[in-house]
Amino acid sequence: MGEDEVLSVTRRTTRSSSATAISTKNDVVERIKSTHICSPSLNDLLYGGEPIDLDVLLSNFPGRHPQIRELLQILGPSNTPMLPIFVYGGPSTGKTSIILQLFRYLNRPFVYSSCRTCYSPRILFESVLNQLSHHRKNATNGYSSVKRCEKPSDFVNFLREALVSMVNRLKENVGKSKSSKKRERSIDGHMVYLIFDKLELVRDWDKSSSILPLLFNLDSILNIPEVGLIFISSTPPDTFYSSMGYIEPVPIYFPNYSEDDLRQILVRNQAYPKLYSSFLDAVLRPFCRITRRLDELSAVFSSLFLEYCKPLNDLAVVPNEDLKRRLFSNLQPHISLFLNETFRVLSQSSSGAERTKGRELRGSKRKIGTHDESDELDFHMSTSAKYLLISAFLASRNPATLDASLFDSRGGSDSRKRRRKPSETAKGQKEAEEEELLTKGPGSFPLERLLAIFQCITSVAEDYLGEEVQVEDSLEVEGQDGPLMSDVLLQLSSLCNANFIVKGGTCPLEGSTRYRSVVTEDLALKVAKSVKFPLAKYVYRR
Amino acid sequence: MKKTAASAPSPAEPSPHQEHGDDNSLQPFFILHRAAPDKSDRKPSRRSVPSSPASPDKAVNSDDHDDCSGDLSREHLRMEAFQHAWSDIETAIQGVLQSIDSATFEAIHSWISESFSIIRTHVSSGFSEIAQSFPAAVDSVSRRLFTGLILTKNVELFDDLRTFEEVGRFLRSHGCHVANLSSMDFVAKNGIGGCITSLLRQFLATSVDAPDMLTLSSWYNNQVNNDTPIVLIIDDLERCCGSVLSDFILLLSEWVMKIPVILIIGVATTPDRLRSILQSEALQCLYPFKFNLGTLAERMDAVVEAILVKQSPGFFISHKVAVFMRNHFVNHGGTLSSFIRALKIACVQHFSMEPFSFVLRGLIEEEIQGSKHGALPKAIYNCASNISPCERNKMDEEAVQRLVPEIAQLRRLHFLWSIVVLCLYEAGKGDEFHVLDLLCEALDPEFYASRAPGSFTQETGHTKASSPNDCFTHQHKFTMRKNGFISQVMRKVRDLSESHLLSLLKRWERHTADIIEIHEKVKELQHMLKFENCQQVKKDSVEIAKIRGLQNKSNLGRDMKRVNDKASSFLAYLIEKYMQPIECVPSHEIVCFKNVKKLQMALVGDSRRQIQVDLLESHNILSCSCCRNDNILLSSMHDTSIMYSSCQEHGDLVNLHDWYQSFKRILLCPNSKKRHKLKQSPVSKKRKIVDDSEKLSEVVIQSRFCRGVAELQITGLLRMQSKRRPDFVQRVAFGL
Amino acid sequence: MVSDNAAEKALNLIRSRLCNPNFIFRPLCDSPDSNYSKLKFIVSSSVTEACNNSVLLLGPRGSGKVAVLDLVLEDLLLEYPDMINLIRLNGLLHSDDNSAVKEIARQLCVEHQLLFSKMASFDDNSEFMIAMLRECGLAHKTIVFVLDEFDLFTQGKQRLLYALLDAMQSVTSQAVVIGVSCRLDADQLLEKRVKSRFSHRKLLFLPPSEEDIYRLLDHVLSLPVDSSLPHDYAIEFNAKLHSMFSDERFRQVINSYMNFSPTVRHLVKFLFRAASDMDLKLGYLSFENFKSAISSLQRQPKMECLRDCSILELYILVCMKRLEVKEQNSYSFSAVMKEYKSIHDSFQTSDYYSQDVCLRAFEHVLQRGLVCFADGRGRIQSTEFRPVKLLISFAEISQGLKAHHLCPAFLQKLAS
Repeated sequence: MGEDEVLSVTRRTTRSSSATAISTKNDVVERIKSTHICSPSLNDLLYGGEPIDLDVLLSNFPGRHPQIRELLQILGPSNTPMLPIFVYGGPSTGKTSIILQLFRYLNRPFVYSSCRTCYSPRILFESVLNQLSHHRKNATNGYSSVKRCEKPSDFVNFLREALVSMVNRLKENVGKSKSSKKRERSIDGHMVYLIFDKLELVRDWDKSSSILPLLFNLDSILNIPEVGLIFISSTPPDTFYSSMGYIEPVPIYFPNYSEDDLRQILVRNQAYPKLYSSFLDAVLRPFCRITRRLDELSAVFSSLFLEYCKPLNDLAVVPNEDLKRRLFSNLQPHISLFLNETFRVLSQSSSGAERTKGRELRGSKRKIGTHDESDELDFHMSTSAKYLLISAFLASRNPATLDASLFDSRGGSDSRKRRRKPSETAKGQKEAEEEELLTKGPGSFPLERLLAIFQCITSVAEDYLGEEVQVEDSLEVEGQDGPLMSDVLLQLSSLCNANFIVKGGTCPLEGSTRYRSVVTEDLALKVAKSVKFPLAKYVYRR
Repeated sequence: MKKTAASAPSPAEPSPHQEHGDDNSLQPFFILHRAAPDKSDRKPSRRSVPSSPASPDKAVNSDDHDDCSGDLSREHLRMEAFQHAWSDIETAIQGVLQSIDSATFEAIHSWISESFSIIRTHVSSGFSEIAQSFPAAVDSVSRRLFTGLILTKNVELFDDLRTFEEVGRFLRSHGCHVANLSSMDFVAKNGIGGCITSLLRQFLATSVDAPDMLTLSSWYNNQVNNDTPIVLIIDDLERCCGSVLSDFILLLSEWVMKIPVILIIGVATTPDRLRSILQSEALQCLYPFKFNLGTLAERMDAVVEAILVKQSPGFFISHKVAVFMRNHFVNHGGTLSSFIRALKIACVQHFSMEPFSFVLRGLIEEEIQGSKHGALPKAIYNCASNISPCERNKMDEEAVQRLVPEIAQLRRLHFLWSIVVLCLYEAGKGDEFHVLDLLCEALDPEFYASRAPGSFTQETGHTKASSPNDCFTHQHKFTMRKNGFISQVMRKVRDLSESHLLSLLKRWERHTADIIEIHEKVKELQHMLKFENCQQVKKDSVEIAKIRGLQNKSNLGRDMKRVNDKASSFLAYLIEKYMQPIECVPSHEIVCFKNVKKLQMALVGDSRRQIQVDLLESHNILSCSCCRNDNILLSSMHDTSIMYSSCQEHGDLVNLHDWYQSFKRILLCPNSKKRHKLKQSPVSKKRKIVDDSEKLSEVVIQSRFCRGVAELQITGLLRMQSKRRPDFVQRVAFGL
Repeated sequence: MVSDNAAEKALNLIRSRLCNPNFIFRPLCDSPDSNYSKLKFIVSSSVTEACNNSVLLLGPRGSGKVAVLDLVLEDLLLEYPDMINLIRLNGLLHSDDNSAVKEIARQLCVEHQLLFSKMASFDDNSEFMIAMLRECGLAHKTIVFVLDEFDLFTQGKQRLLYALLDAMQSVTSQAVVIGVSCRLDADQLLEKRVKSRFSHRKLLFLPPSEEDIYRLLDHVLSLPVDSSLPHDYAIEFNAKLHSMFSDERFRQVINSYMNFSPTVRHLVKFLFRAASDMDLKLGYLSFENFKSAISSLQRQPKMECLRDCSILELYILVCMKRLEVKEQNSYSFSAVMKEYKSIHDSFQTSDYYSQDVCLRAFEHVLQRGLVCFADGRGRIQSTEFRPVKLLISFAEISQGLKAHHLCPAFLQKLAS
């Protein structure tokens, strides 16, 4: 149905060899609309809200004045055509917001589409077309786009139509607004700008090889002088080189903020600038050595500042030297803490009660419960799952050649004394193994090896368990020897789900799938500790 | 062969999905129940069960009779008795679990509402962009996503799926827009489109082609109640594909100004798994808070307390069963649902095996009506009478009548027992102390025997209970295991601080409310404590000198000790007098399920072992006359069993050629005595003919060999040869 | 004041000239041996003698192939009205034969006011195309096929090219196929059956000679004396311009620029950049404009990235460099971490941070494109175990470290 009417439209346009006819048709519609409402559709392409003037714009972005001026020069006065430009610079250097605010200041219509929101070519195309034709997805139109277009060729055709009609409407709109000066919020000029943000993501699309050249050559394909193209990317242009080249657009570079810029920005719209600046004296330099990204810094500081303010009762004070010194001294530990963590989880006060309760009744010796100590396991696993995890860890940590020597074939308790020797004999290979581990990461292993190790481990561990059991009470049911061995595969699957063990690719030689354990060593040690298993004896190294 | 192949595997590999509906967890049981009566299984069961009026051994027989003389009405009665009991249990479990989680749910909801208000304050700055396609101009801090990490501290996810659904329901009921996403939506294959699609499908209830966030925002802005947040619940962080999830989070953080999205992520292990799964850039966007659900230990305690201690649903488990269940839970289960499932299986088996089990229900009802010795309803009586033909002769009216008071007695004793266990639990509650362990110890009949030597009826208990006040000075004669939980409790009680003791007594009072003789003793204890307190207070008010203070403190300590000793010895007294394990009560078989073997078969019946056993002595199953039970391989045996037993002498790598040769030799050596012995066996008729029609040809043997190999491979005892060693097959299963 | 308004007008004029390729290439056309006249001769001959023809326009991007072609076609359309039927295809859009043939059919329909059905199959469309070719041939109408990005059409089975060129073997048809490509070996990409039917005419587009450049500059930048612009202002403007052209420094700038980006388009970009920061108050193009333009166009992204790095990120880069100096064939983040530890152990550095922080810094470097994974999309491995490699040379690293304003001295020592 929609298909058909699209078809008819195209046919009409194709009949009239130039697109003027349809554009005039649109104008009629436009004028009709603009009689009662002053053409709201055109203003939709402007940045909403009230206009701002240049000084406000400049003051909003300290440390960005050269870039803003450069952009202004390139965008030029109204109604001047421009070559496509390529704005790049690290993340959170204010590229997007400056461009948007510029257009708010310039009052020029633009079409913004971010390649993160539009995560596939089709959605990108359709969002551009929707905005150009003031189409809003909603329940009435079944959340469908104005036109269904997946192929680049369709996109170019539709885009050309839409742009031409838009430009014509803008031109006559300019004339109108010239004639009637009453409306102050008038669109400036008849240029339309297409902004493509987050362009670096397009490289990861599967069709990137065809989409990127299309976007970069769009202006030469369209060549409509009233259309300006703006690309925003967080990676420099040289990361976009492809087999088929293109004319690089005019580059505009946003460098990272310098330390003073950061200071200015961070102090801006703070409630207590004096206090905050003294705070920044303490923290800004050390943190800048780690990262110079504004978002990360501000995130850290927002929580660190609270620590800073803890001792103060009123924050309005202007800190003098010794106050600063005292504040700094009790901030010191927190600084070193925050320096070394990327991410902290806050615990809700209400749920804090829960946690204490949880701590109250802690797991029993046989690990039915949770432990809150850092060196203890923090979550529940069934015992056999634990052993399986340990054996998987061993399997990917140790080279397969050493299994025979590490584990006695019967894996009985008598294998302990035998275990020592090979670990010395293996000294030679140790270094190479270490390197290999560092480069390739944990090795992969077939299921059989895992099961074999598991069997050995459990048979070794039985007597540990046995002793333990003797201590408590003979809770072992008779006729249940080797209780851990049964339904191992189920445990394996649950470990895979918990992402402790990953299914590797299938080995080319024998077709079986290979596994690989990705648990960190300390986690493995924790688990081993929780089942009183001497892991250190089996992992061979220093 | 066929039979085991049919029956054995079904209980053995319980895939996690099998647990989903609890009713199909009955399935393995019934199959197994039919497959049960073969010798290999029966011998141990006889060993484990003490002789009793209706031993499960006979019960099995009777069941077999039932199966052949399928009497529907009895089956029906049993089933409904089971339904009844189980429905009670289930409702109890539900109530307990909800009471555990409710606090966390409330916390989550309050957090959501306040974070939503925060988001709104951010948005109010830049409203005009909401309808637009470009992002709102806000600083990066206010662009962060509020994220609730729900820590379900259990690697096994299954319990928590239900929990997350409940969280969703709870939040919906509070007016949030909720979507439950699972890791299936975050697979690398269909990328970020997949999760947005499922998101829109849940909200819009229509599938849109080209799903994007714009659609969602327009939907949200058209909602009548768009002053409530959108909550996205992601069940299982660990299974999600990291890159897709990070993309999704980045996308959301771009839109959080326009669509107030709040994430709730279920983390099975520890919150810093996020760091390993997500990219740091995505991590940057999160603003995480963590909430703890009730840990598995808490849940287990609560459930066990509710089911096995508090209520007596005409069904109980013996010591051995309890121990088995506990071990199974610790070693394998790891989920509450698996424990409940085990309980359910036990319940079903009990009701379907135990002759009188369903009589009980009638009795309970009668008791509720109050008329204690009213005759049973005729129907029940009839069924009870003709329940097991083997016993019908000594089964008559007054036997059933005799049953009634016995059962009443049983119930009373069990009630006392449960009260004592509760008291113990209250006392021991806290560090690493679990009801299940306590239960295992309290159910132990030997323990009881050691306490009250030779006194299996509770009359002795009555005689001992003559003097009411000796229960505080009571020296318990029974020897406790030195690390047993009961002794732990004793010690704990002995050195409790005053306040704790007081609260403990309060709780005891609550528990023992409806057994008067215990209740008043508890009151007595409380009085003592109170009394000492007040005189303590008096002393304090009178005294000024600090020396006095010192000694007074010391003798305060002494007084405290006194009361503690009293309390502990009272506990000992309770244990000795009332804590009588159900197995030491006459006619407990009616309510008590004892058969560990069956339960074990149902839960961890490991099929490989079974298959190997059956293969190695196939003659036990197809008990044919041709091949006798001595382990010489005869050509009359089944090919597969021949092959499997012949490959036993190889190592883990079996040389195909040797194997084939040995197989062929076995087939082709019909020694004379066997031949004439084969004459009468019907099986060997055609074989003989084959033999006469000279020497089944090479081709036939090869084909049979191949079929055998294929069967062994299918049953998972063998793996086909690798490309490297084309002439070898690999044995996968070793030992039994 | 007047000059300000005039300056703005002038600026607009120049910018609109720069954004209009046809205007730019006009002066390069008039010489008899220019590509313009050759191409015009080819096409016009095939229009007049009613013969088929095919030609390739080869040259680097931005050397004005399409622009010249447009000029030619423009003029021819004026000379021979309604005798030429133009079909434009672009390899970026119509590289697969289906959509290409469909597009041809669509444009033919547009041209001849026929009804175009989207549902037509490939065969229908190609038949339609052949039929149209014959019809036009009979009507002495030349169909000019312009295949932009010609090399992209040679991917796949080349059914379209074959169909076109094969149809042109018949005497009845009358068409010209003009392939435009920036690959100089474009004709080598053709299959044998296609190549045998292709007339190997190639027009090569060379970078402009120096006098061409100055003619272009004059043509583009000098203001018209007789226009709405104030007369004396224009005179003044042009005078300043020519004096600047004669300036030696200016010539050096232009030469240095044209040396590393020789094509006309690059020149245009350069002029655009220079013109766009013309000072409206002053109202004239100054030498500084050009200097700043060249500095803003000739960028060194890697250097900028290095300058943006934090100290920790620099550490990571240096560690990776050291690993590569050690000829470790493949190394992963964990190896880098080990190296970092060893550095810290040997010289007690002040900034030694936890693995998480380093991993984050590593991901930053990864995003900047200074480093990339050596393997493909390995989803199984986690980031710290995937093999990585540097994307910048050691020289760049050491240079960048020197340029970095707060880089510790001994880090430079480590790097060297």
